[in-house]
Amino acid sequence: MSHDILAIVPELMLVVTAIVLLLIDPMLPHHGRRGLSWLGILACGTAAVSAWLARNEQFSTFSHGIALDRFTIYFKILLLLVAALAMLLSEQHLHLKKRLLGDYYALILLATVGMMVMASAIDLTVFFVGLELMSLASYLLAGFLRYNSRSIEAGLKYFLTGSFASAILLFGMALLYGVGGSTNYQEIGQALRSGNVDTGVIVIAIVLLLGGFAFKVAAAPFHSWAPDVYQGAPTPTAAFLSVGPKIAAFAVIIKFFTIILGGEHSRWVPLVIAMAIATMLIGATMALLQRDLKRLLGFSSVAHVGYLLLAVVAMGQSSYTLSSSAILFYLAAYAAMNMGAFGVLTFMANAGRFGDSLDEMAGLGRRYPGVAGVMAVLMFSLAGIPPTAGFLAKFYLFASVVDAGYAWLAVIGVLFSVVSAFYYLRVIVYMYMREPEAGALEGVPSHGRSFDLSLALGLATAAVLALGMLPGPVLNAAQDAVGKILGS
Amino acid sequence: MHSFQQQAGFPILTVMTFLPTLGALVMLALMRGRPQLYKSTALVTAGATFFLSLAMVLKFDQSSADFQFIEKVSWIERLGASYHMGVDGISVLLILLTTLLSLVIVPASWNYIKDRELTFFASFLFLETGMLGTFCARDLLLFYVFWEIMLIPMYFIIGVWGGPRRIYAALKFFLFTMAGSVLMLVAIVGIAYLARPDRYAAPVFDLDQLQKAVFSFPVQVAAFLAFFIAFAIKVPMWPVHTWLPDAHVEAPTAGSVILAGVLLKMGGYGIIRFCIPLFPDAAAAAVPYILILSIIAIIYGAMVSLVQKDLKKLVAYSSVSHMGFVTGGIFAFNVIGLSGAVLVMFSHGLLTGALFLLVGFMYERLHTREISLMGGLASPFPVLAAFLLFFTLASLGLPGLSGFIGEFLSLLGLFSYNKAMAVVAASGIILAAAYLLWMYLRVMFTGTRDEEWFKLSDLNLREIASLAPLAVLAVWVGVYPSTFLNIINPSVNKLVTQMAPYVAQHGGLLTHLFASRGGL
Repeated sequence: MSHDILAIVPELMLVVTAIVLLLIDPMLPHHGRRGLSWLGILACGTAAVSAWLARNEQFSTFSHGIALDRFTIYFKILLLLVAALAMLLSEQHLHLKKRLLGDYYALILLATVGMMVMASAIDLTVFFVGLELMSLASYLLAGFLRYNSRSIEAGLKYFLTGSFASAILLFGMALLYGVGGSTNYQEIGQALRSGNVDTGVIVIAIVLLLGGFAFKVAAAPFHSWAPDVYQGAPTPTAAFLSVGPKIAAFAVIIKFFTIILGGEHSRWVPLVIAMAIATMLIGATMALLQRDLKRLLGFSSVAHVGYLLLAVVAMGQSSYTLSSSAILFYLAAYAAMNMGAFGVLTFMANAGRFGDSLDEMAGLGRRYPGVAGVMAVLMFSLAGIPPTAGFLAKFYLFASVVDAGYAWLAVIGVLFSVVSAFYYLRVIVYMYMREPEAGALEGVPSHGRSFDLSLALGLATAAVLALGMLPGPVLNAAQDAVGKILGS
Repeated sequence: MHSFQQQAGFPILTVMTFLPTLGALVMLALMRGRPQLYKSTALVTAGATFFLSLAMVLKFDQSSADFQFIEKVSWIERLGASYHMGVDGISVLLILLTTLLSLVIVPASWNYIKDRELTFFASFLFLETGMLGTFCARDLLLFYVFWEIMLIPMYFIIGVWGGPRRIYAALKFFLFTMAGSVLMLVAIVGIAYLARPDRYAAPVFDLDQLQKAVFSFPVQVAAFLAFFIAFAIKVPMWPVHTWLPDAHVEAPTAGSVILAGVLLKMGGYGIIRFCIPLFPDAAAAAVPYILILSIIAIIYGAMVSLVQKDLKKLVAYSSVSHMGFVTGGIFAFNVIGLSGAVLVMFSHGLLTGALFLLVGFMYERLHTREISLMGGLASPFPVLAAFLLFFTLASLGLPGLSGFIGEFLSLLGLFSYNKAMAVVAASGIILAAAYLLWMYLRVMFTGTRDEEWFKLSDLNLREIASLAPLAVLAVWVGVYPSTFLNIINPSVNKLVTQMAPYVAQHGGLLTHLFASRGGL
């Protein structure tokens, strides 16, 4: 096996598994498909192990289009875990919706391949290929329940806004290529640092790129698709879509804003500050108004992107290692808690709730003490209360912001986190402190329970608590990951 | 930073702190649906924790101002945070108060809670871990984690088992406290990064090292304010006290006992432990403002107590007044004032805890807390009346009981700082006598008595057992305070010595200004 292939072994594994899934699916009877998720999970597990085994490698390949380094590996493993968790969450739900198809798992795997390519790309074209692979698979996933108009609407909306965003990004990248004369991140960066370029073009490119990324991570002012899509998409898919693409996009953002635009930080920092504040403001205040839990989580994820953007601001300053590793750690924590929270909603949907309204959470603490306990831990984590991952992630992130000399931004950030605590606590209020309306909890079928879903919820909760109390290993991995990004 | 320092044998602080959590987990895992068993387990766990803390007090070296029973293990190495526990005299006293109150609330709530009892008792045990950890932590990050953890069980205690407006009160309590503490978090991060020896070193959260760091005056002022606001909300000082009456009125009895008895002390403790030693310049400069706020709290709390119609609200507002003596005593920055402040904290924990227990016992019988609906209770409930009289008198500062000693010392300390202030603050004690005695009169003697009340039983043995230890300690502190003063004195002396140069620098000028504006 050629040395170069080593850089894409995990991706290859997933692609092969996706093809196998697509091939064997039509041959199986409906009930025979119940184990298919485990094939995908197995693939993710093996891919993660193979990615980890290459942790001491550091090289670029495919004409300097793909990098293999600690940074890439951190993101690959995180994305593979997210994909595996998403498949665990989905199984029962798809079965109940009578859409249990191998295609679904193949799409998740392909989307994950796209994300992994995005995270490893150090070339504009390779990045764009990864982005489109991820996006196309995601649009299909959002509209996967094709008998459900909500789901179709979500898929279409995601497709329209997403392709628009891709076009904007592409335009920005074209301008970068124009001034930099190369598609390689590092070469563009060098060209920009040399100073012989038209600053007007760079400003336009920065604005376009920021706009495109804002779309992809659902940052203000281009966030409004997110709650709609999460609400309409199948609940376990929403878990995947609210986490995976953001992780991949932030991997790219870190690389773009250090390798390519590191020398231009005085131009983009004010823009990102404005975006971060607007995103936190809109996410937190809009989430206050929601009564639908999926929309609430949608806006809450907008607010979390706002916090992450604060660390991007800090990245423009000298404390690059601290702030970018803060982003990496935050993404891991965010993945665990957001997937877990959507997992609880999946449980509710499987248990026969039609809406996802807050009122239906009433009395959950009595009816399902275990699930309610999980949800409570996740809500406290999302609110940033110790001893959970959400606290340490926020702590570390705000530490990097303060260290970069933006104490005032950190103050704004923590104040918004108090606002956001209100709506997370309200979920707990409904679960434990309100009684359900008469009859609301009776006759709930027991098919809501499934081993896969319980396992996923257990893993997410364990991750949230472990990252909150003993974050050492992940924190070290995040710091090592940003130590040497190839090409920077 | 591999630091596995000397662990002098048995890690008593860790065992004491986490024993309640262990008990709670065992209860939750194994004892669902067996009330007698889990209640007894809760009692045994709280009892064992109390005796551990008692053993710690007995082994505590009273001649030293150093931190003792130190445990230090690296925790998040790259962040420079360690699991560092240790206690000095001030924490020891408050730990004793915590474990005692956590013990007495178990029998007091034995039959009071009807719904989800298991979670109720488990919540209190989790809360005890948070409280003990807060008093032991010698690392800022660890301290913050324990400090915030306390919010979670308290939020459930108020929100699930509270009165009619419990959800509003629980949210208000949580968000008020959180708003204060997130600003403190930013300040913690700021000083931890400023205190690094060089740009590439890990941040410094360890208190031993932080106390050696010197921060510029503007940094000190900003960080002091952030810390102080967080603690002032907890104390609570006027004007950030508004969460307190709501939380107290809605909380179940045991919740009120812990809230008033321990959680409010966290504020005073935090000021003594962090605000002052870390930011001495800023603390010295802030003295006049904080003293004025304290005096407002003393007078305002007492005045508002006078007009309360609800017995529990009366006790809640009286806490605002009493805690004014704590902040006042601390910021007098002399040995007498500071020891007085610590003693007020201890005594207020005993007395207000007992008063809330009594209000709870009355509510269990009469199903009301309205003073106007009570009256002539002394004859149907003679034992209850006797206990209420005892704790009322102790609370209003009757010499020979614990309330007097603390407030007297605190006033004495204030007097040597500024006479006019001490005189104004002393009127708070007079007002306390007014609202407490008037309350006692209306509840126990005058008013219309419902003859049905004679059919109700007086305090039973279980209830007396939960009040008796508090009464004994109240007498002990009142008659022979040296037992307790000896524990805290070395630490208090150390802090005052440490502060003396800063106070001389800032305080001299400001005292002079005050004097020339018509002071005595």
